[in-house]
Amino acid sequence: MENSTSHEIAEHGSLEVPSLIKYISSNEVAGFDSTETATELQFLGPSDKQEIQKDEEKGQGDESVAVNHQRKISISISMPLSPEEVQSHNNGETSLGDGIPNSSSQSNTEGSKPPRQAKCYSQPMPKGHVYPEDTEGRVNFGQNPHINRLKDNRFDPFKTFSGRLERQLSIFRGKPPKQAPAKQENNINNTDRPLTVDRYFDALEGPELETLRASEEAVLPQNERWPFLLRFPISSFGICLGVSSQAILWKTLATSPSTEFLHISLEVNLVLWIISIALVASIFTMYLLKIIIYFEAVRREYYHPIRVNFFFAPWIALLFLALGVPPSLTKYLHHALWYILMVPIFFLELKIYGQWMSGGQRRLSKVANPSNHLSVVGNFVGALLGASMGLKEGPIFFFAVGLAHYTVLFVTLYQRLPTNETLPKELHPVFFLFVAAPSVASMAWARIQDSFDYGSRIAYFIALFLYFSLAVRVNFFRGFKFSLAWWAYTFPMTGAAIATIRYSNQVTNIVTKVLCVILSLISTLTVTALLVSTVLHAFVLKDLFPNDIAIAISDRRRKPHKNRWFPLRHGSSEHSKVIENFLKFSNTEGDGDLEAALKQPSNPFEQH
Amino acid sequence: MASCEIELVIDTSTTNPTVVTDTGHDDNDAHSDESLMMMIAKRSLILSLNSILTKLHAGYFRISLSLGGQALLWKTFTEPADHDTAGILGHVGNIFHPTAFLVLWSFSLFVLVLLSILYLLRCLFYFKMVKAEFLHHVGVNYLFAPWISWLLLLQSAPGLAPETLPYLVLWWVFSVPVVLLDVKIYGQWFTKGKRFLSTGANPTSQLSVIGNLVGARAAAHMGWRESAVCLFSLGMVHYLVLFVTLYQRLSGGDRLPVLLRPVFFLFFAAPGVASLAWESIVGGFDTASKMLFFLSLFLFTSLICRPMLFRRSMRRFNVAWWAYSFPVTVLAIAATEYAYEVKGMIANSLTLILSALSVLVSFALTLFTLLNSKMLLPDNDPIASLLLHLPVSH
Repeated sequence: MENSTSHEIAEHGSLEVPSLIKYISSNEVAGFDSTETATELQFLGPSDKQEIQKDEEKGQGDESVAVNHQRKISISISMPLSPEEVQSHNNGETSLGDGIPNSSSQSNTEGSKPPRQAKCYSQPMPKGHVYPEDTEGRVNFGQNPHINRLKDNRFDPFKTFSGRLERQLSIFRGKPPKQAPAKQENNINNTDRPLTVDRYFDALEGPELETLRASEEAVLPQNERWPFLLRFPISSFGICLGVSSQAILWKTLATSPSTEFLHISLEVNLVLWIISIALVASIFTMYLLKIIIYFEAVRREYYHPIRVNFFFAPWIALLFLALGVPPSLTKYLHHALWYILMVPIFFLELKIYGQWMSGGQRRLSKVANPSNHLSVVGNFVGALLGASMGLKEGPIFFFAVGLAHYTVLFVTLYQRLPTNETLPKELHPVFFLFVAAPSVASMAWARIQDSFDYGSRIAYFIALFLYFSLAVRVNFFRGFKFSLAWWAYTFPMTGAAIATIRYSNQVTNIVTKVLCVILSLISTLTVTALLVSTVLHAFVLKDLFPNDIAIAISDRRRKPHKNRWFPLRHGSSEHSKVIENFLKFSNTEGDGDLEAALKQPSNPFEQH
Repeated sequence: MASCEIELVIDTSTTNPTVVTDTGHDDNDAHSDESLMMMIAKRSLILSLNSILTKLHAGYFRISLSLGGQALLWKTFTEPADHDTAGILGHVGNIFHPTAFLVLWSFSLFVLVLLSILYLLRCLFYFKMVKAEFLHHVGVNYLFAPWISWLLLLQSAPGLAPETLPYLVLWWVFSVPVVLLDVKIYGQWFTKGKRFLSTGANPTSQLSVIGNLVGARAAAHMGWRESAVCLFSLGMVHYLVLFVTLYQRLSGGDRLPVLLRPVFFLFFAAPGVASLAWESIVGGFDTASKMLFFLSLFLFTSLICRPMLFRRSMRRFNVAWWAYSFPVTVLAIAATEYAYEVKGMIANSLTLILSALSVLVSFALTLFTLLNSKMLLPDNDPIASLLLHLPVSH
């Protein structure tokens, strides 16, 4: 006992011991309450904590566990994790002791922050304790009544201001806050340290950087369904792109002189346009909700090297809506609308292109991938819309900027630099984005020059060539898992079809007309197939919005030896034994407790 | 200087033994005092000249580049040839009094002549250092700077019409070195093993492109359309390659010392000059010129929205700060031409803002230079320090 206490004093060097002992004997808390951990650790400097952690990591299993137990109230099970790992607390409430690691690891990372920001993330809190926060009664034994709240708080780091906003809102609504206002500013990614792009490359793989590598761990539990908004990626705006571009296609088919022989009515355009409006409105609303409630998740999507390009998609979708507006509704759109629509694109561009030029970790040679075309296509679509509205200088501005950056991107992607980690080794539907920029550019130039002149034709033929070279390789597009982002890859096909129709207006002969029909058919069929697929996944397979692993990657790579101590994620039986032992001994009175507690738990581990 | 003086004393004592022996002679004393003073003065002059020559590298021509650009801007305002001066721009032109323009042009000429003479001396006495500059991936590009400055002054010369013979002769004198440098450097890009573009590309490489384009503009003003187009295409083709390479940033941006960050402004100088060159070739500010101008404008906006990029280079004054002025001036000139073509409120206000900015920047830089004249030739200049490790012949 003396040893243990002095040991503890030596280790902690603080006045915590008395309260610790008191705490153990008072049995106020059921289960391993590591609020103390938080408490103690907060008084320690980060180096101390680290030292403790290191000690614990290096020590042998039994003793450390015993030591853990004794100050279990201190650090105990948290040890296996590296001090910086904060996310551990978010993992598997299903397994025991996760709460503890949370606190310690969090407190470590929070060491620099004022102590009150703590950790007590999932610890049950005794009343009237020094740290009165957190009475959420999170008992990490997987007891059902708490599971809902468990889930709630697991996702809090992803929420705006880590859940504070939500609580404020619920207070405003008149409901009493569910829990005592917990100081949960334990963002898993301390907001002052955004994820580097290398982290995304290390942790994720796949052509869309969506799948977690085997060696990585996600911050959120993968075997549970996350809240819907958290699963709603920015690539959902691809649906808007796909459908609204179809509206434009059917409008062009109905109004172009060269396709009059098809006798297509404008009704189709009207119906599609209304559907697009509905889709755009609903997806905008949902994503807006996500921004309000889960801002942290949105930030992580923004830092994702591929998802960032999809931030252009909402604005391009709005531009498509303006392009596809049925003639029966309005003939002329106000010029101010164009300026309003282009402002977000302009600012996004300044940021992204500037990063390409000057950013060290996000420079183009490193992050170039076919989705970058989405960043460039916006310029051409804006130029097309502006020119159709009758503006002159603005469209030329965006066309020039788009052309310059498209050249850079095109060369970079064609080079397939060895330093480039994001290019998929195999063909993937994302490659169809290659067709988007030249086809829209050709249409935009034709509008600016008022005729489909040589510049437009050059761009159009480039688009056509790329389309064919991908279409003949359609066999290589097999074997990919359906994802919502595929919708975004349909609009280039539609764009190529529309460009062909415009070209056939200028050069009218049987070849171009046949080409019009074929390309339109392909595009419509693809969209229909995709629609069926989407409906299937949504209602039958119910996995249209799978857990968005890409945003849940951890800050750091886990240390590999963590599993030596506790297979935390999987609720091992040793764990429960440890807890049991603690519980047994926590009930007894007197000094003998600690020693007993020290000695006893070593046994289960000796056995293993 | 103390050691020098000692040397001098010994020197004079050995050369003028009469001073030692004849202490009583006043005449001799006075005479030897004067000659002593003169010798001291001469020596100190030579020494300071030596120190200047060792430290002066081609990067100092940024000053003459900026001043030449300013002169061209003022000329565009005061003598808008074949543009109607109605409207706001006409009024602004009246602000720039012709005499002020003349003073500015003379000052630029003076600075350029001074720098040219000094650099010529450096070539003569310290050729090894010049050669080292030539072999350095940043220094080599500044060898274009003198010729660009001369071409700019030629274009902005008051009273020298482009159709006259002196103009023609001078154009040849200044353009031939540009072409020769082109052949050498561009050829190196794709042939020589050690100096590939992918490893050596940095924002200052755009100076070679600018050189070609300025030459093209001057030729177009003379009426020599074919040479203009030739130089223009040469510049643009290499600009395309360079633009892509620089944007990719293959080497991760460690090719440029932090102190040289101001040269990032060259990113929007090149399209600006290209737009002006194309305008003079075609005769009007057509769509291609507009597109180049807009690209330049966009890159300008992008760079000024990133002040953190330049923070570390702004701590101490150094001659690299002069790299800010020329690109802004070029953009202002292009904006002026744009505004003449597209008369409108936005275009006019853009011109005014950019011109004001350009004048302000140049003025501020001149002020800074005069205040920190000691720091103009520092001991640890980024480029010079890279060259000093090479053996120097005195």
